[in-house]
Amino acid sequence: MTTRTRPRRVDLARVRELVGHPDPAIEAKVLDRLDPYCELLIAHSPYCVLATVGPDGLADCSPRGDDPGFVRVLDERTLVLPDRPGNQLAQSFTNICHDPAIGMLFLVPGYAETLRVNGRAYPSDDPDLLPMLEARGRVPSLATVVEVEEAYLHCGKANLRGGLWESGRQELADLLPSGGVIAAAHIGIDGLTAAVLEDDLADDYQRNL
Amino acid sequence: MSTPEELEVVVAELSWEADGVVAVGLAPLPDGPPLPAWTPGAHLTVRLRPGLERQYSLCGDPVDARYRIAVRHCPRGRGGSDYVHRFLRPGRRLRISAPRNHFDLLPAASYAFVAGGIGITPILPMVRRAEADGIPWTLAYVGRERATMAFVDRLTRLDAAESTTGPRAPRSTVWASGTAGRFDLTGHLDAHRREHGRARVYGCGPTSMMDALEELCAQRADLVFHGERFRAPGADTAPGRPFDVRCTRSGLDLHVDADRSLLDVLAAAGLPVAGSCREGLCGTCEVVVRAGDPDHRDHVGLGDRTAPRVMAACVSRALTPGLELEL
Ligand SMILES: Cc1cc2nc3c(=O)[nH]c(=O)nc-3n(C[C@H](O)[C@H](O)[C@H](O)COP(=O)(O)O)c2cc1C
Ligand code: FES
Repeated sequence: MTTRTRPRRVDLARVRELVGHPDPAIEAKVLDRLDPYCELLIAHSPYCVLATVGPDGLADCSPRGDDPGFVRVLDERTLVLPDRPGNQLAQSFTNICHDPAIGMLFLVPGYAETLRVNGRAYPSDDPDLLPMLEARGRVPSLATVVEVEEAYLHCGKANLRGGLWESGRQELADLLPSGGVIAAAHIGIDGLTAAVLEDDLADDYQRNL
Repeated sequence: MSTPEELEVVVAELSWEADGVVAVGLAPLPDGPPLPAWTPGAHLTVRLRPGLERQYSLCGDPVDARYRIAVRHCPRGRGGSDYVHRFLRPGRRLRISAPRNHFDLLPAASYAFVAGGIGITPILPMVRRAEADGIPWTLAYVGRERATMAFVDRLTRLDAAESTTGPRAPRSTVWASGTAGRFDLTGHLDAHRREHGRARVYGCGPTSMMDALEELCAQRADLVFHGERFRAPGADTAPGRPFDVRCTRSGLDLHVDADRSLLDVLAAAGLPVAGSCREGLCGTCEVVVRAGDPDHRDHVGLGDRTAPRVMAACVSRALTPGLELEL
């Protein structure tokens, strides 16, 4: 798919003309720390998306999930995320070592609103910290510490429009090929067939969850 | 998914018992049946939120309509006690296990109770029971600072209860080692023996205290030790070896790799086992052993049970190349 003519670009003034200006009440809802409601939401969230910036200046999003409350609140300005076995690419770590900027979006299944937390992050292997992140008898060997600078509740419209938590939405998954098929196409190495990759994935899901 | 072993309760009240210790009253549902009976030494598994459950000893009175637990806040713990302190509030419904007891108060000529810190929780109902039954008892309650030690007032009141045989020396010693220094456990137990003779020693507290108690009792023929640990005594376990399991009911043959637990393998095969503490402390994952010799690594003494033989699937392994389990 190549588009011959690029879509027209507009400047911020035109954007403001089209979307209007935010209500001062909405601007005021951005906290500079976590309040007890933010902590409550994080304590019940099994999933969050991390956005970091790479050395090439590109933004990158990476999903994290575990038992609800897997991200721990140390105090109103500090969060910690466990590093669970992943793909060793360590992209988010590479990024925060280069640029500590981090954005997080917390989701709670069935709950329309999401929580956005922005701040600066660094990796840590502090032995006083890691045992806090134990899950299913395993203590991670690395964690991400986030120093919170902004936190705010994001309204549920995107979630409601997308019908994210509606059970009927699960049918969408049946319209996609399996992850193995897509991975095989992306990797494109002979012998790494969809079947092989599916077995690898199943084994990884069983051992490394 | 409610099994008879599980029930739903409502958080009825929270109260501060000491710095960092909150007591939680758990009531039956308004239209629900009364809560199952329990005996001193019992604990509950409390499902705090999906994926987070913890064990708490019952510290109230068995005649009460409500259960009572007391939780010490470990802000840098694994999140269980932090959840209780920060987010559990009256009105919240909770799923709990039925009470389970691996720390039963057995008949004795006398009892020497020893509690360290929050380890007072299972001991408190034991003291009440001993007092009600008129069996001689002493209690040593050791903590770091007095202000962090729960139930001191209750114990003092209990101790001051009218005696029918005239005045008597206090039977409970509350010791704050932060100000008073190291507690002389040996001297305390020897004094108990001099005054009361044979005793069952019921201890609950940190690993160092439990290890010391166990050793002391092993050296004295008239003391029998019973202990409960809240945390596993650290990673001194030998590495696991692989073994095979035959499940007699389902007919499944399974293999347990050296780096996996029996519990994980059984659960992955869809067998009806559940884990909770995963440290060999709660007995939730108990399975019945039909053949083969388990390598018992739990801390609740499942290795002593013979009819039927059982093992803790979360930590225990096999001494023989294979085991047969009733699953
Ligand atoms: C049988 C048993 C009974 C326990 N009873 C109590 C108790 O009465 N009070 C308490 O604070 N912790 C008790 N614990 C310890 C808690 O289950 C838990 O480990 C503790 O709250 C720390 O959890 P955390 O690291 O998730 O914060 C008990 C543990 C076991 C295995
Ligand atoms: S899960 Fe608690 S003893 Fe095995």
